[in-house]
Amino acid sequence: MQTTVVVIGGGATGVGILRDLSMRGIKTILVEQRDLAYGTSSRFHGLLHSGGRYAVKDSESAKECIEENTILRKVARYAVEETEGLFVRLPEDDKQFEVSWVAACVKVGIPAIPVTPAEAKRLEPQLTDRIGSAYRVPDSAIDGFRLVWQNVVSARQYGGEVMTYTEVTAIEHINSKVVGVKVRNTLTGQTNLIACDYIVNAAGSWVGHVAQLAGADVHVKPDRGVLVAFNHRFTSRIVNRLRPAADGDIFVPHGSITIFGTTSSPAERPDDTIPRTAEVEALLKIGQPLFENIYNYRILRVFAGTRPLYSADPNAAGRAASRNFTIIDHEQDGLQGMATIVGGKLTTYRLMAEKMADKVCAKLGVVAACRTAVEPMIAEAAAADIATAKRFFPAYSVNSAVSRLGGKLSEVVKDMEDNPAKRQLLCECEMVTLAEVEAMAADPTSYTLEDVRRKTRIGMGTCQGAFCGFRGVGVAVANELIPAQEAPTFIKDFLEARWNGIRPVLWGNQLREAELMRGIYGASLNIDGAVNYENK
Amino acid sequence: MRINDVIVIGGGLAGLTAAITAAGRGKRVTLMTSGAGTLAIGGGTIDLLGYLENNTLVTTPRAGLRQLPPEHPYNKVGSQIVEEAVQFFLTMCQEEGFAYTGGLDHVQWLPTAIGSVKPSCLVPLTMDSTPIQTASQVVVVGFKRLKDYFPELISKGLGNIPGFQKEYEEVMIDPGFTGGRDVTTLDIARWLDTIQGQQVCRKQLAKQVKPGSAVIIPPVLGSRPSYVVRDTLERMLACKFVEAVIMPTAVTGLRLRAMLLQRAKRLGVTIMEQAHVAYAVQEGKQVTAVVTGNIDRERSYSAKTVILATGGFFGGGIIAEHNGISEPIFNLPVTAPAEREEWGTRQLFANAAQPFAKIGIQVDDGLRPVNAAGQVLIENVYVVGRNLAGYDHCLEKSGNGVALVSGYKAGLNC
Repeated sequence: MQTTVVVIGGGATGVGILRDLSMRGIKTILVEQRDLAYGTSSRFHGLLHSGGRYAVKDSESAKECIEENTILRKVARYAVEETEGLFVRLPEDDKQFEVSWVAACVKVGIPAIPVTPAEAKRLEPQLTDRIGSAYRVPDSAIDGFRLVWQNVVSARQYGGEVMTYTEVTAIEHINSKVVGVKVRNTLTGQTNLIACDYIVNAAGSWVGHVAQLAGADVHVKPDRGVLVAFNHRFTSRIVNRLRPAADGDIFVPHGSITIFGTTSSPAERPDDTIPRTAEVEALLKIGQPLFENIYNYRILRVFAGTRPLYSADPNAAGRAASRNFTIIDHEQDGLQGMATIVGGKLTTYRLMAEKMADKVCAKLGVVAACRTAVEPMIAEAAAADIATAKRFFPAYSVNSAVSRLGGKLSEVVKDMEDNPAKRQLLCECEMVTLAEVEAMAADPTSYTLEDVRRKTRIGMGTCQGAFCGFRGVGVAVANELIPAQEAPTFIKDFLEARWNGIRPVLWGNQLREAELMRGIYGASLNIDGAVNYENK
Repeated sequence: MRINDVIVIGGGLAGLTAAITAAGRGKRVTLMTSGAGTLAIGGGTIDLLGYLENNTLVTTPRAGLRQLPPEHPYNKVGSQIVEEAVQFFLTMCQEEGFAYTGGLDHVQWLPTAIGSVKPSCLVPLTMDSTPIQTASQVVVVGFKRLKDYFPELISKGLGNIPGFQKEYEEVMIDPGFTGGRDVTTLDIARWLDTIQGQQVCRKQLAKQVKPGSAVIIPPVLGSRPSYVVRDTLERMLACKFVEAVIMPTAVTGLRLRAMLLQRAKRLGVTIMEQAHVAYAVQEGKQVTAVVTGNIDRERSYSAKTVILATGGFFGGGIIAEHNGISEPIFNLPVTAPAEREEWGTRQLFANAAQPFAKIGIQVDDGLRPVNAAGQVLIENVYVVGRNLAGYDHCLEKSGNGVALVSGYKAGLNC
């Protein structure tokens, strides 16, 4: 295989670079060790920052946030829900901080509109009565899965390629100059050499591991953030606590759920992503002053991600470490043709990609301007397709289907029109149809039901896979995407991934759901027995 | 006001069995239900014991019973009661015209929707899997547009399992349903209740099913507790049908439930639906009445004996909150691991018991609730079914078995 640039890492930064370079006419292949958005890009609160959170402490980050926020609400509109946000100060929070915060917002250019406590309560009735003061800001909700997927869809139109479940095993160089990467497919074991002129290491929390393959040291401190997903939308706006950034002060509505977080603590490994009950208990306690009924809301699941915090200062950690990003040219380590991009945050992923692509272009001697700030990722959905979709999708799910399908709306709607059976709802919680699952399962990056889940949202609702897990695998078998004999293992793996997020919060209705899930697959279908046979 | 000998709280298999047993012994019984138990989810097979806690297969359910730990509900009631309960159930089904087959001396292997087999004990005649193992031709039948059922999962999966390794053919039947809504097994079962449905089905099957074949089919052979549909189709096609275990809704469970309700009514059991029992009135160690709290008012019902068949976590009989666990009607103690993280193991399906599955109410040999020291807390309350501590029905495949046996034992106690 041969290309000009290899990008390592299929998170927001990596796919952003892939799209940017592809749009500039540079042949680029992205390799990802797991699935797209498997890492931090899908393990955060899904907040497109207005910059308010950083205004006081880090005005540079805050400025980048508000600029990128404004851009992404346009170019990534199908991954963004413009919910707006509230900053709410409680009586016990420092009033002086509010004064500095208002001044900082003005300075950075973040529109923060004061509202009375009564107005804030009218906007968000579940909020506490004890509101001291409140401000409206242009925060938005952003879907990390969709953002990554739509970058890929767009990049492919410009010739960009993606290889998932492909890990880098070696960086090949001759005379201190990069000539290619050796990769291995983790599912098939097949190895390959991709010859290239330049390598971009955008592996997020894993950048250190990749840099080591090139003999370079990049010290990244993975920093754990734990998040709680509630099964309904108890706030329509993002709610931030107006105080110096701390644990448990952000609530973000997404579709039909609310995500609450987060924490900050050093992680042992980049994939240290299984939350602990104590962390959840601590979060709920912190969240209760803003939403007093928090203990009565049903928790769907909990999850964790690791922030790839980078600091030249080896002593800075956690919230003290900068959220800015850094590009490291490995020429400083004596290797030409490779750079690492690290740090930053999802809100500024596009800007990071732009800077990185600028650097690659300069190195390759390519003169081409960045267009990602102006060119929408997904073309506007055709009115005719939306009108047709309204006939087949449940009324209130048309918008979410249009948004999650991005460029595939037309194809899926046509399929549903021609085949009434394809209109069947495969995932009843998230209202995902059979036609969508088949379309996404057919993509070359879909190897497991988990991969299809990230593209469609099946299994992410209230049942947490209890019903759609079986259906999804059944459909995959019926379409000959996976061998029937392996179906029990595929189902089991899907349910185990859901279980990771349920186990730390085994109470209330989620415990009942776990009894149901185990009753169906354990007691009725004997999945343990089936997997045992399969392995014999 | 009606004087009850027995109030049964809960209308699942355990509660219905207790009510029927007590009523059959001449007691005046009221059954209070709020919901319908899990028969429609888990199905109508009586899985008695398939695996032990160390994940070894039992050679026969009877042999397995001897290897259980002392705290297991089967050991609380004793093997004699298990034997009696099985006989009681088989006789009852026979008398109701809906005979079951099986017994404690062999394992019934049932094909499932994911292509596995699962060990059971007492099964309706439509689920006896012997024909699959003996027939020369096996056909797996699917229905066009039926949700949650994929014939190829069954044929390819079974093909891997010792005793079931043979050639499977697949046939799709088109019931011709129109409209966009999902088709369920219950829709098809009701369609096959009709003579027209049976004719269409026979016609489409006749092309591929040779006389003497075994036909694996989802549980759709009629919606009622009777074998008329099966008998008619088997006669027409000269084949044997085997209904598979599938995802909910399980029509096999609906049939069994209908049969049990029919039996209970015939024995004079009063059935109160939508009865939300709020609390109980106690005098010393005796319960004198239970109080229902519906939206309009509270109402008190007196009884000499109360049977608690409220279905554990799933049924709402045991409630876990983030900071505690409780039994809401009698406030009985519930034993659970101290740390929440110890309630579940790393993997949900780990060929091992789940601590949360074994959480329940501790009882004495008579199924009366006890405290940690083993002292009886209430003398005239019996705890049955999934409310009981000390067994993992999903691993053991013992859910309906414990419900049947404990319900029977409680009914005898009254």
